[in-house]
Amino acid sequence: MQIAYSNKTLITFKTNVFKPKSQPRMVSSATKLSLTGLQKSFNVKGTVLPVLNGIDISVASGGFLSVIGPSGCGKTTVFNIIAGLLEPDEGTIEVDGLPVANLRGRVGYMMQKDLLFPWRTVLQNVLLGLELKQVPENEARELALEYLNTYGLAGFENAYPKTLSGGMRQRVALIRTLISDPDILLLDEPFSALDYQTRLYLEGVLMEAVETHKKTVILVTHDIDEAVALSRNVIVLSGRPTQVKANYTIDIQERTPIGARSDPRFSEYFHALCAELDIQTRKKAT
Amino acid sequence: MTISAKKIRALPEGVSRTLIQIGMILLVFGLWELGVRIGWISAFLFGSPLGIAHYLAKAIYDGTLLYDTWITVFEATLGFVIGTLAGSILGLSLWYSPFIARTVEPIVVAFNSVPKIAFAPIIILWFGTGLTSKVALAISLTSIVALIAAYQAAKDADPDLQGLMVTLGANKHHIFYSVIVPSSLPAMVATFRINVGFGLVGAVVGEFISSQHGLGHLIFTASSLYDLNTVWAGLFTLMAVGFVLYFFIDWFERNLLPWKTNEHRQELRV
Repeated sequence: MQIAYSNKTLITFKTNVFKPKSQPRMVSSATKLSLTGLQKSFNVKGTVLPVLNGIDISVASGGFLSVIGPSGCGKTTVFNIIAGLLEPDEGTIEVDGLPVANLRGRVGYMMQKDLLFPWRTVLQNVLLGLELKQVPENEARELALEYLNTYGLAGFENAYPKTLSGGMRQRVALIRTLISDPDILLLDEPFSALDYQTRLYLEGVLMEAVETHKKTVILVTHDIDEAVALSRNVIVLSGRPTQVKANYTIDIQERTPIGARSDPRFSEYFHALCAELDIQTRKKAT
Repeated sequence: MTISAKKIRALPEGVSRTLIQIGMILLVFGLWELGVRIGWISAFLFGSPLGIAHYLAKAIYDGTLLYDTWITVFEATLGFVIGTLAGSILGLSLWYSPFIARTVEPIVVAFNSVPKIAFAPIIILWFGTGLTSKVALAISLTSIVALIAAYQAAKDADPDLQGLMVTLGANKHHIFYSVIVPSSLPAMVATFRINVGFGLVGAVVGEFISSQHGLGHLIFTASSLYDLNTVWAGLFTLMAVGFVLYFFIDWFERNLLPWKTNEHRQELRV
């Protein structure tokens, strides 16, 4: 604990360097989603294991927030709560300023696994969300074909996922997420299983889609590089029981994945965030 | 020999394989017939290929073999279809209630651990000596296998796919039809192959115990009369029936699960 406290002073020092006092100049709009005082513990073989210990997350409408943290810090729990798969023990969830019980149906998510249904063709996979919303079949089909066309998958409508490359599969997953038009996109290292080239390309596709469709994005990841390149805000979580340890605003105007990575400030942010996580590893080691 | 082996290798793989397979069968029957002729093999205890062929020709011509075959195939297929369907549906629906599933599990396991053939005498008592008892026996054999396989497959369905469905606003029924059923199908279809065999076992054992028709009846009565040629004829017919049913299932699987077929399978050459 002592170590943790002494580390905390270090962090505040570091965060001050990069955290602008005022709000960033770009999209300073209303808060889309805010999670306040999230607490969650699990019962593991009779003992209560606290995982989240009062977490506040808020993201502006049209914002891009990354949540990073050391492995085993409860990122998945945060992911599941935001996805609407887990209910927190304590804490409030607000969307557009109104309290909601959970986020089911408002959030579209993508994971490292593409989660395509192997028994459905590309087109049928894309149509999944629209089927559940009972959108008329013709309308849904037309929309799906339009999306497939836009994302360069025309001609693959009737292919089964396993015949596609990893990058193509993730593109299908992205279309499936976008087409049911959720307000909030929740991403869990969506591209980390891909090779670097495909990944840069898909990051670009994602950023473009996010801008066009005006989505609010939360990226849960341990990939600092991706977090800095894509987000406007980065939240750093501590080890379990998890709290928000630092909150960075990434002040890089360039929004393309390669452009952002070539920005002179990119490596500053990158190193600062690495340091945040390094402290965690050292704390764990002792 | 070496020349012919070389020639065989030069042929396309499928053709040479078939030639070798036919050659092996002819060799075995040839040696068998030869052994009977020389007197090394007793035709009384083992029968002879020519005798079998003779019986087959006669029985096919007068229609008795086809009738017996039809009876057995009917019993086996009906038992297989009903047992597999009922077992699969029950097994899948156990997914709906983990409580019921856990309650029923030990009973299912206990029932499964009894060799189902041991039920045959009771089943004959209950359902008589006609078709029904054979079908019932085939059902008792196939349903439990299908049930266990379907339940296990339903339990193993990818939880992430189910989570995705939940966030898209799906309810339990949607998840059942869109995730549980399709993802369990491959495992269920895999048990069809085993169950086709079990269906035949049920039909034939039922016929052994008490019957007037069927291949089991044919084999059982012929063996008690030491008519080995007829026994063999019945066995070979059963083999042919199993073969046909197996390929039918194979065809069914390929058409039911087009997403499973492997077009670009690479052979691992070691």
